[in-house]
Amino acid sequence: MSTVSPSLPAATPPPRLHRRSALMRLISAPAGAILVAFLLLQLACITYALIAPDDFRYLSARNLTILMKAIPVLGCLALGVGILMIAGEFDLSVGSIYTLTAVVMAVQVAGGLNPFLAAGLAILIGVAIGILHGWITLRAGLPSFIVTLGGLLFWRGAVLLYNGAVQVRFDPGPVFSDLFGGTFLGVNAAFWWFLALSVAFFFLLHRHRFGNHVFATGGNRSAATAIGIDVGKVKIAAFAIAGGMAAFAGILATVRVGSVQPGQGTGLELQAIAACVIGGLSLTGGRGSVLGIFLGAMLIHTITNVLLLLRAPGFYLDMFIAVLIVGAAAFNSLIERKGRG
Amino acid sequence: MGRPILELHNISKRFGALTALRDLSFHIGEGEVIGLLGDNGAGKSTAINLISGIHRPSAGHLSVDGHETLFTCRNDSAEAGIETIYQNTALVDSLSITRNIFMGRERCSAGGMLKLAQMREIAMEVLKSAVHISGIDSPDMLVGDLSGGQKQAVAIARAVYFKRRILLLDEPTSALSVRETEAFLNQVLKLKSENVSSVLVTHNLYHAYQVCDRFVIMSHGTKVFDVPKAQTSIGQLTEYVVMT
Repeated sequence: MSTVSPSLPAATPPPRLHRRSALMRLISAPAGAILVAFLLLQLACITYALIAPDDFRYLSARNLTILMKAIPVLGCLALGVGILMIAGEFDLSVGSIYTLTAVVMAVQVAGGLNPFLAAGLAILIGVAIGILHGWITLRAGLPSFIVTLGGLLFWRGAVLLYNGAVQVRFDPGPVFSDLFGGTFLGVNAAFWWFLALSVAFFFLLHRHRFGNHVFATGGNRSAATAIGIDVGKVKIAAFAIAGGMAAFAGILATVRVGSVQPGQGTGLELQAIAACVIGGLSLTGGRGSVLGIFLGAMLIHTITNVLLLLRAPGFYLDMFIAVLIVGAAAFNSLIERKGRG
Repeated sequence: MGRPILELHNISKRFGALTALRDLSFHIGEGEVIGLLGDNGAGKSTAINLISGIHRPSAGHLSVDGHETLFTCRNDSAEAGIETIYQNTALVDSLSITRNIFMGRERCSAGGMLKLAQMREIAMEVLKSAVHISGIDSPDMLVGDLSGGQKQAVAIARAVYFKRRILLLDEPTSALSVRETEAFLNQVLKLKSENVSSVLVTHNLYHAYQVCDRFVIMSHGTKVFDVPKAQTSIGQLTEYVVMT
């Protein structure tokens, strides 16, 4: 029986592991880069707002209230879309689900249904549509991009089929309005919901078995299958969460505005994906963090807000976000390539 | 060598008109390292897939510990204590070593919350005791940051922790550096000393000769030579692989 010489040194690690600086490590962490970008932007905004409070009303109570009301809708959509992206799939239909479920809820409440039951119904419809999209995607072996592109158009049409092209007023009574649109400890209730859901998603994705399976499914589907994870179930659950969160975002938006427009929510799905990409989620799945999604949504709205405060013309907003998305995606792919060595 | 723990009895495997395996019989003893050799197309990978439950035999059967058995999927073979480590190890690059070791078999509290501290501690222990490839200093490192050899070490650590009895190693050294290969072969020997059996599929007869106790040479889907190391030489093995 021969033995291999025990005096041989074991394989040495690639030296780059030791040379990485603390900053480099922070930036390569899933949400590190966006955290740095977000803090720098906040620092710049707050400094400028303190120097010139009349020109740049970033810190005024009114502006902060506007900001806090605007963020949760996109934020909740992005949380759902994000978990699905980490599982390796896309959902382009969340904007349409958001509108459809909001219209159903508003019409039902106008018809006399208890608003809490109507909201539950809306979330249930969102979840059901998500499951349907997931089922078609897996069953037919299609890219989810295509299936949910179909969903985007189909459910947008369903809105008009259900209630025509008319605006629906939403008057759920004070309890419901306070719970989803009131103010608590000086902070908008919708923002509290967004914070609470972000914390819940953090635990689900980073501290729960399900989250581990989501990362495994998106990161290496065949490895996850080989180890015995039911990747189909994981993906369907992620689709359901994306649908449910779209419906929840619809509830927050409807309470805030007090009505539903059948044309609202167009383009929101892309903004949600943008928030995820800016937050460091990989387009191929398996990589990302709830902190990244949270900051991605915050960053989009902060930048929008800053440009508005600087009285920049509207088209700058889109152009700026566009540059941010492409830049963030390029940066992510650079980090991923480096990670692979 | 120890008693046979896995036996293949007259196994044939057909894919339509193609016969990939023909009347193949051999056994794997406890704590034995077998070199499964043969040229391309000899049927080595089909044999490995069959033992790991990916393929079902068209004829013949397997026995584990003397009991006839049928593996219908990967989980069946895993339950029998068999782990396959492919050239492309089944790991997720974007997850930490700890999470990879426990992937699909997480330690959880009642509500499904991960017991991260406990898993991390076990992973650290496993890495220290079972894996002798240096450079892995923390179980929190992402698998994507590891070299090919280190990844295989993690895959092996996982197999060891979950008490696998037989490792199927399909071309494990083809992507490794010379040093990594040496460290890897050392690991196979260390596991052998702990009574873990291995089946090493390789084109590199020198690697096989370093660590294997017995050689099974295949050609055209069947066994053409089965010899203990003491009764053969690299020259003879080469001859069999090339000539048959």
